[in-house]
Amino acid sequence: MVLQQLSNGLTLGMVYALIAVGYSLVFGILRLVNFSHGSVYAFGAHMAMLFVSMQFGIIPAFILSIVLTGILGIAIDKMALAPLRAKKSKGIAALITTIGISYIIQNVLMITFGSQTKFFPKLFDFGSIYIGGVAFNTTQICISGVSLMLLLILSCVIRYTKVGLAMRAVEQNQKAANLMGIDVNFVVTFTFFLGGASAAIAGTLISGYYQIVYPNMGFVAGLKAFSAAVLGGIGVLYGSIFGGLVVGISESFAAAYLGGSYRDAVAFLILIIVLLIKPTGLFGKKGITKV
Amino acid sequence: MRKLVGLILILMMVLTSFAGCQSSSKIKIAVAGPLTGDFAEYGTGFKNAVELMVEEWNKKGGVLGKQVEVVVFDDKNNGEEAATIAEKIVADKDIKAVIGHFASGVCMAASPKYQEAGLVEMSPSASHPDYTKEGEFIFRNNTVINVEAKVAVDLATKTLGKKKVGILSVKTDWGTKTAEITKTLVKDAGGEVVAHQEVVDGTIDFSPNITKLNSAGAEVVIVAAMYNSLAPFATQYKAVNPKIELVGFSNAYSQQLIDLAKGSAENIHFPTIFFHGSADPKVAEFVKAYKDKYGSSPSSLTAQAYDSAGMILQAIKNAGKADRTAIKDELYKMNYPGVTGATKFENKIGDAVKTFTMVKVQNGKFVEVK
Amino acid sequence: MKEKLSNLSNRINAFIESNKKIVYPVLAILILGLPYVGSSQYILRIIIMIGVYSMLSLSLGLVTGYAGQVSLGHAAFYAIGAYVSALVSISFNLNFFITAPIAAFIAGICGLLLGLPTLRLSGTYLAITTLGFCEVVRMVLLNWESVTRGPLGISRIPKPSFLGIELTISNFGLYYLMVAFLALTTLAVVAIVRSKMGRALMAIREDELAATMMGVKTTYYKVAAFVISAFFSGLAGAFYAHMIRFIDPNTFTFDTSIMILSIVILGGMGTIGGMFLGSALLVSFPEVLRFLQEYRFVVYGAVLVVMMRYRPQGILGGQKKTPYKLPKGGG
Repeated sequence: MVLQQLSNGLTLGMVYALIAVGYSLVFGILRLVNFSHGSVYAFGAHMAMLFVSMQFGIIPAFILSIVLTGILGIAIDKMALAPLRAKKSKGIAALITTIGISYIIQNVLMITFGSQTKFFPKLFDFGSIYIGGVAFNTTQICISGVSLMLLLILSCVIRYTKVGLAMRAVEQNQKAANLMGIDVNFVVTFTFFLGGASAAIAGTLISGYYQIVYPNMGFVAGLKAFSAAVLGGIGVLYGSIFGGLVVGISESFAAAYLGGSYRDAVAFLILIIVLLIKPTGLFGKKGITKV
Repeated sequence: MRKLVGLILILMMVLTSFAGCQSSSKIKIAVAGPLTGDFAEYGTGFKNAVELMVEEWNKKGGVLGKQVEVVVFDDKNNGEEAATIAEKIVADKDIKAVIGHFASGVCMAASPKYQEAGLVEMSPSASHPDYTKEGEFIFRNNTVINVEAKVAVDLATKTLGKKKVGILSVKTDWGTKTAEITKTLVKDAGGEVVAHQEVVDGTIDFSPNITKLNSAGAEVVIVAAMYNSLAPFATQYKAVNPKIELVGFSNAYSQQLIDLAKGSAENIHFPTIFFHGSADPKVAEFVKAYKDKYGSSPSSLTAQAYDSAGMILQAIKNAGKADRTAIKDELYKMNYPGVTGATKFENKIGDAVKTFTMVKVQNGKFVEVK
Repeated sequence: MKEKLSNLSNRINAFIESNKKIVYPVLAILILGLPYVGSSQYILRIIIMIGVYSMLSLSLGLVTGYAGQVSLGHAAFYAIGAYVSALVSISFNLNFFITAPIAAFIAGICGLLLGLPTLRLSGTYLAITTLGFCEVVRMVLLNWESVTRGPLGISRIPKPSFLGIELTISNFGLYYLMVAFLALTTLAVVAIVRSKMGRALMAIREDELAATMMGVKTTYYKVAAFVISAFFSGLAGAFYAHMIRFIDPNTFTFDTSIMILSIVILGGMGTIGGMFLGSALLVSFPEVLRFLQEYRFVVYGAVLVVMMRYRPQGILGGQKKTPYKLPKGGG
């Protein structure tokens, strides 16, 4: 039973980690809490559902949705956030902008698709595997695998490519990076594309796991994923995974041993405690407290 | 501080400009519910159902020789907005009754106003036990929890014949109350509640709850939740234990349950007051008309909204005048034969007394349990 | 366009400044006489809600606008005020005028408990902590059933009564009560802003490090601002609970926090008038746009985005400050 709950928590944690990566990417570069990420995630899931229902087949639908959602990420940046940076507005203006965008996306989804919960076909289902009496769903395993792979790819992009180098430079010091000839705006746009694409991947995988899609699916999941990102040290990718797992497992145990309705509070309680003890998160780098 | 002056002037101009309404002798029925926000599907269902009912009456010449008009108000399922809308509705003397508000909490933020102004509020969905206690103008055309829970428990312990009962409930006024009543009823029926799990509304991951219920040895789980929780719960539970039996409640009775859960919806049992396959020709007519007009199948709550509108129009007709108080009085005298069965309000309390049909899902369709 | 706008508002300000003796009494009469000028109860309720949100945004404005600390969880104090007042008045059968101060006081204590450990965090981290706090408060309201009645909420909260008369919207009692509460809040905020504390808060907003260097006890002032802010939010909550007469945990969500913050930013951080204007706009917005039906929240979002794009300092924010007045007789 404890082991089973652990396995439940691990899967849930992977789900949060997948979403958390998007927050972490954008926050790392811009020090901006992107409140629209949750609705971008819902957008990605809806696009995948739309293309699947148009008989594109799962894989092409998946890819189309990733590209489209990435483009949405770029559009958000270009249309709403880039002008703010150009004017050097306060961070809070950007925060409110992302909240405004999430209202727009969520309500447009609702108008187009209706607010009801819709069916999403199951991805990679090969039944359950039992290891020592603990049931592991193959979907769970696949989700974990894909998330790990995604993070590995992202880490490689950031670690070994030229764009990645530029991203790290911008993260450390935008002005200096600009002086060194890095196109900061391109780097930011690219980050938003990655953020959107990862949201679409998360959206599609998670919808495939739970087999449902609905317009405000990103809200609660987004808030929790966000705490996961902060928990692990925002801007640190492997921190997001760790944070996600901590949130997922503690939630699963809270549901089992404290009564189900406390589970939503646990993520935030842990978040507050960690922030009080170590404000930069568990793996956060020191010295990036500028806001 | 000085800017304040100009601001308040502007404010007053803005606000007074959208005041003012003229009175004539039309008959209007208001529909108030969420048309935006997370619960828009239910508000839209209310609106569609009421419009359909009013259209049918208007085709037959309206009520008291007048055409009836439907006015729709969106409250976003938010109590604050609902209370504001209530002010707007009661101020329009042409509006004779309100069908709506969706969630109990939202209904109850608005109902003091309706009671004070003496306007009938008929909610097709409010489930809070205190809702109708606000006053005699406050009605609901929804099931009363203890009657429905009794049927659900019978389904679990008698029809399915299982004694080890698990309960899953959503943490809303309805879910909590239902779970509480169900627990006592299970004991009375000779069963045993092996585990009770609560989830917050909107939960989609039930794995911790399922592990808990399953290891407690539940043979049947009574689920007090809407279709959008019951469907993923069924799917996730049946992946772990395909032999589990599930019993739902009438507000999960929706075509969408089968669309979402597919095979996992098989053999879920429900009590319901509205059944598509009913032998009653009224029901078949309603389902057909609804499908033709809106392209989807009506759910239980939609059918309840449809009957709510019917009852109010019938009350106007019986009273012989479109008068707010007369409508209330007629509703208490009425025994309305609708698509959700015969409805009457007993003992001057606005709770509808209903009879239930037992249904289950078989081969992707709802069928009656004999 | 922008220049013209600020030009105009400057001229209005100048006009008000030079005619102080006429403008303020006229204003007072207008506010007091408003219910009698042919406004329906519908309008009156909206105006009262604008008043409630003005109280909330004034109190948040103290923390966010003047001290520069962003809180995403102000609905928590609003909720605490509402719940405490409702529960105390029902269980002990006390009058609203006794329960409301109790509620505000308890909200203030919660502000202290949250503020003390968290205000050493800054910026985004503080924002996140307050957001988490708000969610935790909501979960406690939902789960602590023996006290808060959980999801059933609290129904039939008594109306406020004054000298035996029940205050309602129709006898304008609630309106005048709101005016009194709002006046109290406004005066308190104005007094704080003009005091030593106000200057300390603004110094913290502009440059916390520099403020510390100048000997400003930053933590003390930040916590004090937070507590005062929580106090008045609690007061607004108490008022709201007794007006609407039914509250449940869903009444106070993250959306409410966002709404309050949006008002502060849209109105203009560090202004008082902006809070009134912001509340008037955002509260009446969904009502005015009712004809747009399902599109109204798309428009709402678009307004936030456009506003931040073209006027990030808010409608009234960022104007030329009036010169600092030197004390008379001094140098």
